[in-house]
Amino acid sequence: MAGEVRAGERRQRRGDEPERSFQWVVPKGRKASIYEDLTLDTQSSVHRFQKSGYYVSFADGRGTWDDASTGLDVVTWSAFRDPNELWERPYFQQGAQCEREIEGAVKSARSEGLLGDVDPAWVDFLRRDGQIQAFVEHGIWSIATRRSRAALADTLTHGIVLYAAVKQRQAQAFVIEGMDLDEDLGGGFSIEAAKARWLGEPAWQDTRRVVERLGTITDWGELILVCGLVIEPLLGGLVRRELLLRGGLRAADPITPAIVRNAQREGDWWHDFALAFARFCAEDPEHGEANRALIDGWLAAWTPETLRAVDALEPVFAGAPGVDFDRAREAVVTGQQALLAAAGLGEPVAAS
Amino acid sequence: MATTPTRRRSVTKTHERIAQLGWNRDYHQPVPIYDTRYVFPEKAKDPMKQVMREYLPMQLEKDERVYGGFDAALRAGMPTKADERWLQVMKPLVLILVYAEGAAGRCMSVVMDVVPNEELLNGYHVQFVDEVRHIGMQMNLARWYTKHTPDPAGWHRGQEYLPENLFTRAGINLFSHAFVGDPIAAGFTMMTVIETAFTNVAFVALPDVATRNGDFIQATTYSSVQSDEARHISNGYATMLTVLQKEENIPLIQHDLQQAWWITHAFVDPFVGTIMEYFSTDRSDTENYVTKWDRWIRDDWYRSYVEQLGTMGVDIPPDMFVRARERLVAGLHHKTAPLAFSTWPLQFWKFDPLTEKDFDWFEAQYPGWYDEYGATWEAYAALADPDEGAILLAGFMEGAPPFCWTCMLACVIDEDMCHRTCCDKEGVERTRFYCSPECRWLDETNPGRYTGDRNFFDKHHGKSLSEVILELGLLRADGKTLIGQPHLKKDRMWTIDHIRACDFQIHSPNIVQARELGLPDGNWHSDEDPFGTVQGDGNGFQPVTLYGGGAGQNGDGRVRVEDMARAAVGDTPWVKL
Ligand SMILES: [Fe+2]
Ligand SMILES: [Fe+2]
Ligand SMILES: [Zn+2]
Ligand SMILES: [Zn+2]
Repeated sequence: MAGEVRAGERRQRRGDEPERSFQWVVPKGRKASIYEDLTLDTQSSVHRFQKSGYYVSFADGRGTWDDASTGLDVVTWSAFRDPNELWERPYFQQGAQCEREIEGAVKSARSEGLLGDVDPAWVDFLRRDGQIQAFVEHGIWSIATRRSRAALADTLTHGIVLYAAVKQRQAQAFVIEGMDLDEDLGGGFSIEAAKARWLGEPAWQDTRRVVERLGTITDWGELILVCGLVIEPLLGGLVRRELLLRGGLRAADPITPAIVRNAQREGDWWHDFALAFARFCAEDPEHGEANRALIDGWLAAWTPETLRAVDALEPVFAGAPGVDFDRAREAVVTGQQALLAAAGLGEPVAAS
Repeated sequence: MATTPTRRRSVTKTHERIAQLGWNRDYHQPVPIYDTRYVFPEKAKDPMKQVMREYLPMQLEKDERVYGGFDAALRAGMPTKADERWLQVMKPLVLILVYAEGAAGRCMSVVMDVVPNEELLNGYHVQFVDEVRHIGMQMNLARWYTKHTPDPAGWHRGQEYLPENLFTRAGINLFSHAFVGDPIAAGFTMMTVIETAFTNVAFVALPDVATRNGDFIQATTYSSVQSDEARHISNGYATMLTVLQKEENIPLIQHDLQQAWWITHAFVDPFVGTIMEYFSTDRSDTENYVTKWDRWIRDDWYRSYVEQLGTMGVDIPPDMFVRARERLVAGLHHKTAPLAFSTWPLQFWKFDPLTEKDFDWFEAQYPGWYDEYGATWEAYAALADPDEGAILLAGFMEGAPPFCWTCMLACVIDEDMCHRTCCDKEGVERTRFYCSPECRWLDETNPGRYTGDRNFFDKHHGKSLSEVILELGLLRADGKTLIGQPHLKKDRMWTIDHIRACDFQIHSPNIVQARELGLPDGNWHSDEDPFGTVQGDGNGFQPVTLYGGGAGQNGDGRVRVEDMARAAVGDTPWVKL
């Protein structure tokens, strides 16, 4: 990892007062953004300014940070930027906004008496499967939050932490919905029942298997790309958008679509983040080719199993009014292919 | 249909439901990337949980208040009203605290990787999100100071200076303990010691000093940070109560808590004590650092927390806490401060000579202070003008104490200083100095932990002062005036030419001292190595000193967790001092 850019010289050459801005920030655009100013180099690195090496190491020889924490390599990890520049303040603004919108939907559903209009078959479906996505989000959360520390730049660590945070928010939103519906629709939305189904219902087991497998990922780069390019577009898209959002809208459900729309808005941020990261690695001038081979291997290792999980969910779709599994499957597969093409990556391994 | 659309959900019931989200894995067990010596009980202690629906609006509201405060501070003309002496020292302080926040967040990640108890995970995760918030707020504070305060030089390249600066590198060293090594030991360092004991000093007592010096935006920012600490302290306590359930953990807790305590004391007390007392112009405070320490650390933490652990079977001898206080009383920060001030040409902030008013305050607070330190401070003030043509550091370097291998600060308490010898990667014996037997114990019992080109003066040994200033990039935008200055005046600033006119050669006190004592080489720097170290690059370092010569117990030169555990509880028990 040679060639870390000497901070700020570009900006110093322009006539503004150099002592009034952070010269270590190498802006991606013409001017440093507030996200760049508040994030960059808050994580130190021997490839940036820690010229004396790491002062504290693991007993097995790993330094404070370890280049071998991912199989990927790039010339300059610190050059990565989140395209949407999420930092703490907009994160709390957006997260609080999500919760406000959901609360508003619940409130108006109650005050306007909308829950009485919901298709009874959809209510039955929600009793059965409405909360199960919470376990998927929680499972992703539990590995993302563990892998964030090892990432080799602050922009990456923060991105993974905030991804975990949105996953936890989404998981909890489904659980709280179950709680609310329990009160309004006369029971049957217990979390225990949902958990039993998550643990035992055959249609969900391939999903559970792939989510549990995420917990075996030791490489933070693999985590970003598997979640961003495989799990979210295929499984996340299938259950959240194709099943819960479309089905909920058709069934006149006033709450579930509000939850999913907010999750999808957060999902758009992660989509852009993962896509930018994939390109960043694949287009690296020195290591791009090796990275592409590694990423292709990850796609091959994860896509078939994820597609099996998608296929296994057909009976769940069958139990929900107004949704079409084949159309849904096609939509998510097409979506993932478009994403991979945008990332400049090869065809995913076809499902058997 | 609902009759009361605004009715509130039961918090307890919401928590109960959220707690159901974890499950026992059947298809794949999680694979950790960090190792711990601790074992875990089936059932953990349940700490405070956060439901995102309550957490997000609560944090947003706090954020709005802080960020709104920056505009208000600008309208109130705070940048020019706040005391300049104080504003200068915010440069190292805020940036090192930002690193500490990053360490606290990453600490959560390593702890979550090894703690199997779902009940604990929610709290850890929310803490990581809090710590991302703290980084944002404090970098915003740094950015605001940079844009608005009278003399921002030093802020503008602060993150570049931080890891290589004589003092802040020691802060990087300390806070890295919170996310490197055994995750539970790291967790104790952050949650049980740094957050439970010391955030009251850093985020309550320091902001009080800030306010006294007209800097209320620092106080606004840090009070908001502190409002999250109750939850972090609760995470630490829940972690402690959880591992306490297993008897085999108790010797590990005793060992790790003492080590966490010592390394934190070794850096924070001299660093914060110096900032609080030597960078405050306001002298209205009737409490000194030791008084505050007695309240926050001794009474509120040691007596009501650590001693209470005794009732749960954790037997920690009081020696380390007593010793830390004795060192403070013996002048740990009073002896560190003159040394810090004398290194002003190497710093990225300015220093203000003490005045009569300061002398009076110190003498009232610490009777006998003037007799002991007064002459040094008079000399400092006398040499502040470049026309004097003399640099205090030149004289200081002659008799300067060595720097400690473990905590990386100067060994200022003569009676405590000690050393040992060990081999570098070529098998050549060299001398390591320590500020205290406790720091030596930390190094001895944690083979492979302390890496890198650790000693600032070894690294720069033999160079002239002006060369080091240039190498570290410590000049202002005009290309000749130093960022660090020994006074706050706008004129009479030192330039690189002034330095050249009275230049001198840097000598590492460690090298000099080892030579004087007839010990093996005190130098641990090598120009041959990419990171300047004779013991590897800190990124693949092979420990060489364990088990007398270096092969590790498996004979391959690697130290494994089992080796560490043996060193920790078996071969090297608590050392009575
Ligand atoms: Fe914090
Ligand atoms: Fe904290
Ligand atoms: Zn904190
Ligand atoms: Zn020490």
